[in-house]
Amino acid sequence: MSTLSREESKKRVWRVCGILALVTIVEIAAALIHYNYMEDSPKTFLNILFIILSAGKAYYIMSEFMHLKYELKPMVISVLAPFLFLIWGVIAFLWEGKYWLSMKQFWDVLN
Amino acid sequence: MSTTNAKELWSGGDSPFKVSYGKIMMWYFLISDTFTFAGLLISYGAIRSSQPKHDETNPLSWPDPNHVFNAGPGFHHAPLVFVTFMTFTLILSSVTMVRAVQEGHYMNRAGVLKWMALTILGGLVFVLSQAWEWTHLIHEGMTPSSNPFGAYSFGALFFLITGFHGFHVSVGVLLNSWAFIQTYRGVFDRRGHYEMIEKLGLYWHFVDLVWVYVFLAFYLF
Repeated sequence: MSTLSREESKKRVWRVCGILALVTIVEIAAALIHYNYMEDSPKTFLNILFIILSAGKAYYIMSEFMHLKYELKPMVISVLAPFLFLIWGVIAFLWEGKYWLSMKQFWDVLN
Repeated sequence: MSTTNAKELWSGGDSPFKVSYGKIMMWYFLISDTFTFAGLLISYGAIRSSQPKHDETNPLSWPDPNHVFNAGPGFHHAPLVFVTFMTFTLILSSVTMVRAVQEGHYMNRAGVLKWMALTILGGLVFVLSQAWEWTHLIHEGMTPSSNPFGAYSFGALFFLITGFHGFHVSVGVLLNSWAFIQTYRGVFDRRGHYEMIEKLGLYWHFVDLVWVYVFLAFYLF
């Protein structure tokens, strides 16, 4: 357990709950505004925003709820380091998917 | 570090991270589970980017989540409302889980029971909501091999990934219920610590964490 007092840690939990709820509301609101008022505009900027906000939620869940922030640094590194592979995975496979699409279009075998 | 100290460290019984064996193993299990989920979500990304983007005129393009997920029990034409409710349920049940872990640190059995009960309730509400959503989508004609909203692989990936997540939630509800009974019987009080609640807490928050990304992939993008 951290050095926080009982009352402090209680308060912190509810604060993090508020942050997660707020971020979720912002995400939903952004998605609905885009859907209702600007459906024809590209979603690229919005998707980048969603990725950043989701990473923020993941940070709060791992650091506060899963208590990772209060563990020793080597522990934190051993948990987080493997996730570096996922950054490669996401980029490589999205790239690959785009290539499949261009091949399908080239050979005119779409759908 | 003196030689005696080093010898003690190498003789076992000490964790290099000052985290108990059980909690470290739960963390490492969760890392491996992250890779399972990441494998599924990355496949989703690869298949999705190999399909044409959403386009009203092309019935086989990737569907718009606002069209697919626009109903809840008793209401229609309200995009993303029901999934927002589900997301909040999961966040709240994560919060009650943290409170259970905190009360466990102070050996407050009544507190653990109260917050665990709320966590189990939140998990059940989430699983039942998902069951409702699945039933609704199947009635609309979306199955692993067909999808009236667009590319059929959307249906296959949706049921595979939300199903795998829902399976995790269900397992979490069962484990939490078991821990609730153990707490009620005073097992952890006799043991002198509530570490089991902490380990289940890690698992439960992980389920919430995965939902952040399932939500991102299926409902927001």
